[in-house]
Amino acid sequence: MTWITRVGAEAGTAWRSFLRRRTAVFFTFGFPLILVGIFGAVVQTNPTGGGLFGHPTGFYVPGYLAIIVLFTPLSRIGSSIARYQEGNRFEKLATTPLNQGEWLAAHTLVNIGIILLASAIVLGVLELVTGGSFSLSPLLLPFIVLAVVVFCGIGALIGRVADSQDGVIAASNAVALPLVFLSETFITPDMLPGWFRPAIGLSPLTYFARGVRNATYLHQSAGSELVVLAVLAVVFFGLGAYAVPQTE
Amino acid sequence: MTAAVTAEGISKRYGDTIALEDVSLSVDSGDVFALVGPNGAGKTTLVRTLTGTTMPDAGSVTVLGRSPNQVKKERIGLLPQSFTPPERLSARELLGYYAGLYDDPRPVDDVLTDVGLETTDETWYTNLSGGQQRRVCVGIALINDPDLLFLDEPTTGIDPAGRQSLWSLITDLADDGTTVFLTTHYMEEAEQLADQVALLDSGSLVEVGRPTALIERYGGGTHLRIETEHSLHQIESLGVDVETTETGLRIPDVAPAEIGEIVSRLEAQGIDYETLTWTEPSLEDVYLHLTSETIDEQQPSEPAVNPVGESQ
Repeated sequence: MTWITRVGAEAGTAWRSFLRRRTAVFFTFGFPLILVGIFGAVVQTNPTGGGLFGHPTGFYVPGYLAIIVLFTPLSRIGSSIARYQEGNRFEKLATTPLNQGEWLAAHTLVNIGIILLASAIVLGVLELVTGGSFSLSPLLLPFIVLAVVVFCGIGALIGRVADSQDGVIAASNAVALPLVFLSETFITPDMLPGWFRPAIGLSPLTYFARGVRNATYLHQSAGSELVVLAVLAVVFFGLGAYAVPQTE
Repeated sequence: MTAAVTAEGISKRYGDTIALEDVSLSVDSGDVFALVGPNGAGKTTLVRTLTGTTMPDAGSVTVLGRSPNQVKKERIGLLPQSFTPPERLSARELLGYYAGLYDDPRPVDDVLTDVGLETTDETWYTNLSGGQQRRVCVGIALINDPDLLFLDEPTTGIDPAGRQSLWSLITDLADDGTTVFLTTHYMEEAEQLADQVALLDSGSLVEVGRPTALIERYGGGTHLRIETEHSLHQIESLGVDVETTETGLRIPDVAPAEIGEIVSRLEAQGIDYETLTWTEPSLEDVYLHLTSETIDEQQPSEPAVNPVGESQ
């Protein structure tokens, strides 16, 4: 028996539990469709005079993906922690060989699976709606995986602090919404006040959006963004694992 | 006999609230040890301290000869209070999940049989009855074949038949050599199952001992309770001692062989009655006796306080 088997047992259970919550499945995969349905339709008008959607569709692909890699792990991991606490499941797990890092790894794996599926749906629908004004890159995979790890770690921190499912939803929205607009996803830095621009560099989502844009739209090197995101993934996974409740 | 669990001078506070105060106990290997007390007495805090999920402010704990966090986790089983596993999984899937966390778990089918869920093994947890859900939870605690099993209020909220079934399971486990540490607020449960009983009140251990010894020492004698409209003096005219209680009249220290004689005397005197109940002392009498003594010592100016009601 290794830690891999334990992580597999926890991840398998989390995946099965997720698939059996029909509402959760519907909205997890329906969310990207709603996203593309609304914003994709706006992009489809192909505006030319600047404004929110002044760039071609390919420019906004990182934005669509950013919303998925941001919102889903934050709310899902936070809610899982709240649900486990409410059912005294962490107290039980504390007396098993599964440790906090393994628990977070298992739930991060599940989120990676869900978000890769959701991302594939978004990219597929965008391709259909906009006629393929962006290119796929193999770097999408590591960017999505690393971003999910980062936000699973942050989700664990939120779950520890929020202490209830209601609190997790409120807290994850409060964290995620500003990040969407302040991380070079849909809004370019020149649309923000000058004094605010240095703060953009503090958001992990910025490196995801920049890197994905470089890889799929600008066709530039995305190596430095990938490295930063990898470092942030290690840091936030460590902090998140520490935050997963085990003892009172 | 070696001790499976020892606790020395355990104290734990939450702010101004004292959860545990200088608690010391020892549980022999292979025994069923019942920790009895009302809600809020500190039972769950003590279990958490013994399993290492809560750190005490003072005192020391050893479990199977080591500190709780150093003992091999395969050797301990825990059913936490109010435990709810993932609800949209079947009993079989849940046992399989927890089995996957251990090196050498018991076969899932064996545990399903032990907890009597062979025929409902594919039903989702959320669709099982309360008693069946609790049995799944006990099964989860057994999946690693623990040497030491902590059950925090295992029968709370389940019907009498379910309770009997769990009692039988716990007895079988103890017969096979598993040390069982259980908490309950059902005195009858402790009396039925336990080799040793500890009475906890407001965070302090009031007494520890074998149920029979505690009852013998603190439970008082057997008595005959009479529900009648006749007066105390009319009953006394039978030539027996009579006490007035909240529920009627009581003749203390009546042996079973004396009941017939008393009934004959009642009939001879023309004293009719609604009910006659002969009662043996129980652990509940011990608990009420000991906790009222404790409260009386602490609060001599309030002799009429009901100890159980207050600590709840």
